[in-house]
Amino acid sequence: MAPPPLLLCFILVLASFSDTCFAIISFSSLQRTLVVTASHPQRLLKAGEDKITVTWGLNQSFPAGTDSAYKTIKVQLCYAPISQVDRAWRKTHDNLSKDKTCQFKIVKTPYTTTNHTSEWTIERDVPTATYFVRAYALDTQDQQVAYGQNTDAKKTTNLFEIQAITGRHVSLDIASVCFSAFSIVALMGFFFAEKRKGGKAQQ
Amino acid sequence: MEISSNGAETQPKFALPVDSEHKATEFRLFSAAAPHMRAFHLSWVSFFACFVSTFAAPPLLPIIRDNLNLTATDIGNAGIASVSGAVFARLAMGTACDLFGPRLASASLILLTAPVVFFTSIASSPVSFLLVRFFTGFSLATFVSTQFWMSSMFSAPVVGTANGVAGGWGNLGGGATQLIMPLVFGLIRDIGAVKFTAWRIAFFIPALFQTLSAFAVLLFGQDLPDGNYKRLQKSGDKQKDKFSRVFYHGITNYRGWILALTYGYCFGVELTIDNIIAEYFYDRFNLKLHTAGIIAASFGLANIISRPGGGILSDAMGKRFGMRGRLWTLWTVQTLGGVFCIILGQVNSLSASVAVMIIFSFFVQAACGLTFGVVPFVSRRSLGVISGMTGGGGNVGAVVTQLIFFKGSRYSKETGITLMGIMIICCSLPLFLIYFPQWGGMFCGPSSAKTATEEDYYMSEWSSNEKDKGLHEASLKFADNSRRERGRSVHSQTLPSNATPPADV
Repeated sequence: MAPPPLLLCFILVLASFSDTCFAIISFSSLQRTLVVTASHPQRLLKAGEDKITVTWGLNQSFPAGTDSAYKTIKVQLCYAPISQVDRAWRKTHDNLSKDKTCQFKIVKTPYTTTNHTSEWTIERDVPTATYFVRAYALDTQDQQVAYGQNTDAKKTTNLFEIQAITGRHVSLDIASVCFSAFSIVALMGFFFAEKRKGGKAQQ
Repeated sequence: MEISSNGAETQPKFALPVDSEHKATEFRLFSAAAPHMRAFHLSWVSFFACFVSTFAAPPLLPIIRDNLNLTATDIGNAGIASVSGAVFARLAMGTACDLFGPRLASASLILLTAPVVFFTSIASSPVSFLLVRFFTGFSLATFVSTQFWMSSMFSAPVVGTANGVAGGWGNLGGGATQLIMPLVFGLIRDIGAVKFTAWRIAFFIPALFQTLSAFAVLLFGQDLPDGNYKRLQKSGDKQKDKFSRVFYHGITNYRGWILALTYGYCFGVELTIDNIIAEYFYDRFNLKLHTAGIIAASFGLANIISRPGGGILSDAMGKRFGMRGRLWTLWTVQTLGGVFCIILGQVNSLSASVAVMIIFSFFVQAACGLTFGVVPFVSRRSLGVISGMTGGGGNVGAVVTQLIFFKGSRYSKETGITLMGIMIICCSLPLFLIYFPQWGGMFCGPSSAKTATEEDYYMSEWSSNEKDKGLHEASLKFADNSRRERGRSVHSQTLPSNATPPADV
């Protein structure tokens, strides 16, 4: 086993390379050129079961050639402000490399000039929260150049709630209870055995 | 090597050299000989298991917080709850050890808290999460039984080392779990489980480990070199003591309170750092969670040598300079820990931070080891209560420090760390007030009064009635064995005393 100082030196060297050499892309510098809509059943959506249908396309009111740099579209599921309260790990940063608003990928496809629709079953690791949908247009170097979202600039409209799976299973519950009971019973058994041995102990 | 002790009717054979109480005078790490080294291995492994369980949640928090819909406040509260449960549990454990023996006391606690770790798999809300972390934290009271057991099995020349290695290797669990749990989680997830189920299954590992270690303690351990409490009490070799007297003599010893405070600022600081350091590196230097976790783990992993180092240093100082040497070294090391803590909050670069953190971890953990080089000598009758008070004080320090400096957004984490360093330095000063009539304190030498002997000190815990009944015999032997705490130059001049204690209480 490597001694801790050596391991740490190694990590430090790696860490010093982790800062990429790309320019900082800020969200506020992106133009909202895409129109995105999301349709879903009008109730609490269930992770793993319900589907969201996302449609996106270029906003035709922009001049032709706006989308010349767009190579790929990445559609993501993003947290609404109410689900970001007191949760620094979901915080919105203007610097897109630090931004944690959108953590789930719905779909990533090559950009087409016509409108595109995609149906997505909500994955089972999506937590309980309120969401909206955002699409980023990426260039050839996978950097964001434009975006669109199904809600307004303040992220207050068209939000929807998703209910996560609990992750619990009946078999897990039963196993927990059984093992717990076993520990307690074993302890009592030991005590009982000690008492019996103590009673028979010679002086 | 078999050496029989003098003064006993039967001549039990031990694998290690022993003193008149049959406590081992040597510490052989790679032996598992019964009863001494076997007790050592059983106690550190079971304590390690408890640490793994208590800190199993933090490395998996990124998944748990999404599954249970936790906020940062919920997580902070659960963190404080995890260390606050042990405050009173440690004190209770100390008393239980004095009365029932460390083997039964620790195994009972471990088997009673194992169900809570199993139930962590069923947690479904912030409240249930807080409750399982709170009750799991009770298992950290096994620290007290570990130290008590080592103090019962090992004699003065090596008691600091034994306590330090057992405590340090147990504390290792707090670091190891940051590596173990993500690995187990990853394995289960790769087998096919969904993330929100995989972490639940992962918790069965620390729970089972804990249960099995308790079984091992019950099956293979024994309380004292001569046997278990119950059997010795039945045969009359060990007197059953009264809870009220044991408790009274523990809490009225002011040294126990001072050590409780100072331990809060070495061990309490260690627990606080365990809870906040991964987030600190992650946020301040924008590291990946995995990297931050490895750095956090390395803080806890330093325990493999730092805390034992403190214990060994305490014994070395005790051998040369006696109890005064132990106290001075403890104060110096702990104060230096505070200095490096202040520096840690001030440095701005990642590499400097990691380097300072490593140095800081060595000093703060060594101070923990040094503290338990002093604790075994504070009381003989109420060793468990004193150990429990000191241990509990450690947790109080963690709770108080997290509440003042690391809750909410009043202070940035780096400011909090600097202020914590200042508090360490201030709260180490009371060590100057500790004074043993027979050995002295940091500023004063031993008292020259005729009633300032080791026997007087330890006999003052027994009333004349109790002495008439012969309840004090074990304390007498301990007093004789503890004479080495006078230091080398004085020790060679003292003559062995006769076993006639003074008449007054």
